[in-house]
Amino acid sequence: MLQDLLGALGLASIYLLFALGMSLTWGTIDILNFSHGSIFMFSAFTAHLLIPYVPMGFVGVALVCIVVGALMSLLVQVVAFEQIIKRARNRNTAERQILIGGIGVAIIPLAIAQEVTKSNPFGFIDSGFEVTTWTFMGLRGTNILLITLTAAAALAVGTAMWLRRSRHGLALRSIGVDSEVSAMMGVDRRRLAIVTMAVSGGLAGLAACLFTYTLGAITPESGDTLLIKAFACIILGGVGSTGGVVLGSVLLAVTETIVLTRTSGLWVEAVAFGLIFLVLLVKPSGLFGRKEVRRT
Amino acid sequence: MDWTAVRLGRRGAVAVVAAAALGMSACSSSSGTSSTSAAAGGGLPATINVVSINPQTGPAAFAGLAANKGYDLAIKEINDSKFLGSTTLTLSKVDTKGDIKTAASSASTAIADKNVSAIFGSVSSQEAIAMSPLVQQAGLPTIYTQAGSDGVVVGDATYRATPLMRTYYSLVKKYVQEKGWKSVGIIHTAAAPTLVDIGTKALPAIATELGMTVTTTVAVQGTTQDFAAPISQVLASKPDGVAILLVGAQNPTAMKQLRQAGYTGDVLGNSGASAGNLKPAGADGAGMVWPVDFNFQQKAEASQKFVKAYQAANSGENPLNYAAEAYDAAWFLAKSIKAAGSADRAKIKTAMATVASEKFDGALGNGLTWKDRDIVVPGVMIRWDGTGDVLLYEGSAS
Repeated sequence: MLQDLLGALGLASIYLLFALGMSLTWGTIDILNFSHGSIFMFSAFTAHLLIPYVPMGFVGVALVCIVVGALMSLLVQVVAFEQIIKRARNRNTAERQILIGGIGVAIIPLAIAQEVTKSNPFGFIDSGFEVTTWTFMGLRGTNILLITLTAAAALAVGTAMWLRRSRHGLALRSIGVDSEVSAMMGVDRRRLAIVTMAVSGGLAGLAACLFTYTLGAITPESGDTLLIKAFACIILGGVGSTGGVVLGSVLLAVTETIVLTRTSGLWVEAVAFGLIFLVLLVKPSGLFGRKEVRRT
Repeated sequence: MDWTAVRLGRRGAVAVVAAAALGMSACSSSSGTSSTSAAAGGGLPATINVVSINPQTGPAAFAGLAANKGYDLAIKEINDSKFLGSTTLTLSKVDTKGDIKTAASSASTAIADKNVSAIFGSVSSQEAIAMSPLVQQAGLPTIYTQAGSDGVVVGDATYRATPLMRTYYSLVKKYVQEKGWKSVGIIHTAAAPTLVDIGTKALPAIATELGMTVTTTVAVQGTTQDFAAPISQVLASKPDGVAILLVGAQNPTAMKQLRQAGYTGDVLGNSGASAGNLKPAGADGAGMVWPVDFNFQQKAEASQKFVKAYQAANSGENPLNYAAEAYDAAWFLAKSIKAAGSADRAKIKTAMATVASEKFDGALGNGLTWKDRDIVVPGVMIRWDGTGDVLLYEGSAS
C-alpha cells in the first residue's frame, strides 16, 4: 500500500512538473500552449543527441533540457503566438487561434524526432548518471524518484511564492485578471509573456529530463500523452491556481494507481477522467479555480 | 511547371489533356488489368507494377521502412536473376504516414490504376483493416506483413507473410520448463489484439498445459508510460516468472521498472522487444526472452542466404524480421506471377492459392507453409543480453 502511494506520488510529481508550465501560461497570459508536449519531448531528444559527444552527468542533461525547453518556448511565443495576438480581432479569436497554432507548431519538432529516431524509444544511456535503487523500511525507490519528488515540491512552492509575492508575479496575476487594466497600470504584457513562456518551457524541459530518467526511455509521441493528463490536472484543480494543479496532479495519479492496482487495468482512464467529469459537474471552475469575470 | 500547357493556353491545355487521356484509355483497354502496356494475348508484359503501401513516417515507420528494404532486395534479385524472363517487376512506395485514411485512399488509387498488378499492404493492423475490404472487393492481390489483427486476411485476394504470434509462441514452453517456473504473472497491453490474445488465451493455455498457475493478469492501455503500479500488482502475487507483453517503446520502461521493483529473474516478452527496442533499458533489459518468426542468426540455409544478401545491400546492417517477412512476401508474389503467366490480377490471385499449397524455403526458415493464407514458420527463441540478441534455440518446421 505504502509502496503504491510512493509510486503514485512519483507519477504525480511528473504530471505536476509538466502541468505547472502549462498552467502558468494559461492562468496568467491566457496562452493554452498545445506545443508544450513537443517542447517537452524535443528538449529530452536534444540531450539524447548530445550525450554521445559531450559527457554531461545528470546536472548537464538537466541543464540542456531546461535551456532547450526555455528557448523553444520563447521561440514559439515570438514567432507564432505574438503574431497571432497582433493580428487577431479580439481576445476570443486570439485564444482559439493560439490553440490551433500551438497544435500546428507542435508537429514540427515531432516530425523531426520521428524522422531521426524512426519512432524508436530514446533515452539517456551513457549520460554518466546511473539510476540506483534504495530500500527504506520495506519501501523501494530510486534516486531519480527522490530528485523528482523534491524538484516537484520545490518548484510548486517556488512558483506559488513567485506569483504571490514578487512584483513580476503580481503583474502576471493582474494580466490574468484583466489584461487591459493591467496595461493601463503600466504592466508590460509582451515582456512578461516572453519571460513566462521561457519559464514554462524550462519546466517542460526539466520534466522531460526527470521523466526520461524515470522511465529509461521515451518516444517522440510521449509528450502528447502527457499533454492530455496535464490538461486534466489543470482543469480538475482550476485554471490559474498553482495549488489546484498540485491537487489535480495528485488526485489523477492516485486515482490511476488505485484503479491499476485494484482492477484489471483497463478502467484507468475511464475512472480517472470520469472522476474529473464528476468534479466539474459539481464545480465547473475546478477545485481551486477562480470565477472568471469578463467584460463585454 | 508544364510550359507546353502554358504556351498553348487554357483551351490548348484541355485538348492536350484530353488527347493524353484518350491515349491512356486506348493503352489500358488493350491490356485489361495487366501492367504497363503489353500483356496483350496473355503472357507477361515488359513491366509489372507493384505498390508498397506502408508507413514510412510516423509511429510504425520502423516496421514500414524495414519492410520496404526487404521488398527492394527481393525485387532486385527477381529482376537480376531473370526469374520472370524479360519481365521487370517495378516497385512504387507510398507513405501512409501512419494515417488510416491515407492507407485506404492509397489502396483505392492502386485499385483504380489498372497498371498495378498487386500491392504489399501496410504493416499497421489499423491501416490494413481499412485496406482489406477494398482490395478484396476489387480482387487486387495483396500481401501484408505484420498487421496481426483479425479482419486483415479477409478473402482469396489477401495474404499475410507474417505468422500469427500464437502459432509460434508455444516455443516458450521449453524455456519455461528449463527455468522450472510453477507460476507466472502477466502484464499485457490492451492496445494490440495480438498481445491481448497471447496474454489472455495463448499463454494461460500454455501455463495450464505445463501445470503452472497464472497468479495475476494486468492489462494496460496503449498510452501507459509508467508501469510502476501494474508491476507492483503483479509482483505482489509472487509469481516465479513474469511475462511482459507490450508494444515496442513500452518494453524498455517496463523492464527498467521491473528491475527497480526488485525482480531479478527472466521475463517472457514478445517480438515487440526486438529491433533494438530494449537498448534504452541498458543492463536492466537483460533477461527478456521472446519467440520471434525470424532472427538474423538463425541457421537455415535460405535464411543465411537472405542475411548475407541483405547485409551486402545495406552496408553490413543485420536484417530485422520485418525485412525477412517482406522478402518472402515479394518472392511469393513473383512465384505466383510466374505460375499465372500473366500480370492479370485475377490470374495472379488464382495462382497464389496454388503456390500457397506448396512448402518452400525462405528468409523465415526452411519448410515454410501457408495456412488460411497466413504464413506458418518454425520460429526462434531469443534472449536479450543487455547489448544484443542471443539465439537460444530454433523451432522445427511442421
